[in-house]
Amino acid sequence: MRLRIIKPGLLSTVQDTGRRLYLSHGVPLSGAMDTLSARLANIALGNNEDDAVIEFTYAGALFIAETSMLIAYAGGGMALVAGDTTLPANRPVYLSAGTQVQCISRPQGCRTYLAVAGGFNVPVILGSRSTCITAGFGGLQGRALQKGDVLDSGAEITFTTRSILNSLQGSTISFTGWSVAAHLLQPADTSRVRVVPAHEFNWFDSRSVIDFLTTPYTLNVSSNRMGCNFDGATIERLIPGEMLSTAVAPGTIQVTGNGRLVLLMTDCQTTGGYPRIAQVAAVDLHLCSQLNPDDSIYFKDITAREAQKLYIELEQQLYKLAVTVKSRFY
Amino acid sequence: MSGDNFIHIGGQGKAAYTVYYLSEQAVTMQFGNDINTGTLQRVKRYHALIEANPFPGFYAAVPAYATLSIFYNPVEVMQSPELSGADCINRLTAYLKSLDDVNVAEPSTCGTTVNIPVCYGGKFGPDLSEVAAVNGLSEQQVIQLHNEAVYTVYMIGFVPGFAYLGGMNSLLATPRKQQPRVAVPAGAVGIGGNQTGVYPLATPGGWQLIGQTPLQLFDAASEQPSLLKAGDTVVFKPISADEFNNYLITGNAAAYN
Repeated sequence: MRLRIIKPGLLSTVQDTGRRLYLSHGVPLSGAMDTLSARLANIALGNNEDDAVIEFTYAGALFIAETSMLIAYAGGGMALVAGDTTLPANRPVYLSAGTQVQCISRPQGCRTYLAVAGGFNVPVILGSRSTCITAGFGGLQGRALQKGDVLDSGAEITFTTRSILNSLQGSTISFTGWSVAAHLLQPADTSRVRVVPAHEFNWFDSRSVIDFLTTPYTLNVSSNRMGCNFDGATIERLIPGEMLSTAVAPGTIQVTGNGRLVLLMTDCQTTGGYPRIAQVAAVDLHLCSQLNPDDSIYFKDITAREAQKLYIELEQQLYKLAVTVKSRFY
Repeated sequence: MSGDNFIHIGGQGKAAYTVYYLSEQAVTMQFGNDINTGTLQRVKRYHALIEANPFPGFYAAVPAYATLSIFYNPVEVMQSPELSGADCINRLTAYLKSLDDVNVAEPSTCGTTVNIPVCYGGKFGPDLSEVAAVNGLSEQQVIQLHNEAVYTVYMIGFVPGFAYLGGMNSLLATPRKQQPRVAVPAGAVGIGGNQTGVYPLATPGGWQLIGQTPLQLFDAASEQPSLLKAGDTVVFKPISADEFNNYLITGNAAAYN
């Protein structure tokens, strides 16, 4: 299966669930900003969850299916449209060869993940297919997608993917009656982001900590895949002084010298030296990945133990979801 | 609520460390709050011990000045019958204690010495004269002070393959450029404040550039992509412009190491 990019959109990159093994070499994690949506798109197709997908940022991209294709997409900020057919999200969609697909803007969210049967076939570099923009490797030639780029899918597909393909293929666009229930995995309140107090939490004064946990923070337009910058109540230090640089991770909320919050995202440096007020619960990090400039959120504190429990529960739900898709074809 | 919840104490006496929660997928071992070679040795020893005796779900350990952060898959950690404890941090703490057992494999922690050839000044080091002027030295003295020191790699971070080096002579300390350069070439050797280092990739940068190495400090095609790692010793060796160009043609690292 093959697609060709006609219009790349603002920032479109090939990503998987990240490059975990080379953090000690200073290599950022990379991978999908919203791994939950990337995994859901793969699960809907019966793919492996870490197969490579395309991450689109906002609407505007346009691509053509050069061969017939089996795709699925998930995320926010856009819908895929072919001619006058809106392709439904979170389920397998069959495209006949020659179909042009447009990314049309939708409110809420900003990143959408396109999966293809067998995953996009770019080379595995340092254990991942993700694009590392900083060092210019991974993904498609280490860069964002451009007009004219051609992407092929992997030749190996699972039994489930083959069965879905057999059930849909024909001469026209078609899709399944079922979808993966993405909404069931979303928290009821998507403006509330749960956080665990971080190691330097006690370095900040109590008034600021109350502000941090009770007042809204608004995404600044300067945000990108390395970090989300927030406007809101500034955070004052109780304990002055410098800290020694140490490992940070996506989800770490640093407080810069002028008291502003920077939430590190998946392209962040592997080490950092700003004091950390909190760590966003992994289950809520995808909410931050889908924020648009001027969107506001609240931070709500939970314990590390709760965060871990939520993490394990979400993994179990995703596992069950994958099994449910597979079980349709036994 | 306290930021101190989930801190565990391990080791004894001089070997004491604390373990704190970094994320659902990582804990950090902290060995004091100072930059010194003793702490570096302890960080390095635990890094090597963990890599020689990995636990189920382990995927990376990131050393820094006084910390070692351990990244893992929480599902595998919680499912493993080899590990016991109610949550990941308890399981990791117990695992770290088990590394003090006499039966675990004790790895060699000898560091590597890496010679880095540098062509100083001219187009390779456009700020050499500024560094000399700021510090009341001749350009030749700057070069000599810079390459006679022996440097220690404390950590890798900032960008892939970038080494934080200790050991620069304080006579060379120079403030960063007022206006950072939009593009610093890969291999540029610079001074920023009281630090020195090599830019592994072409990036924007504010350090004073005194030279350039033809060595590739980061190679994504290699299984060990970063030339340097925490605990290594670095020696800069002056080379001529001809040697620099020759190196680019032959790419013969063995000639320098």
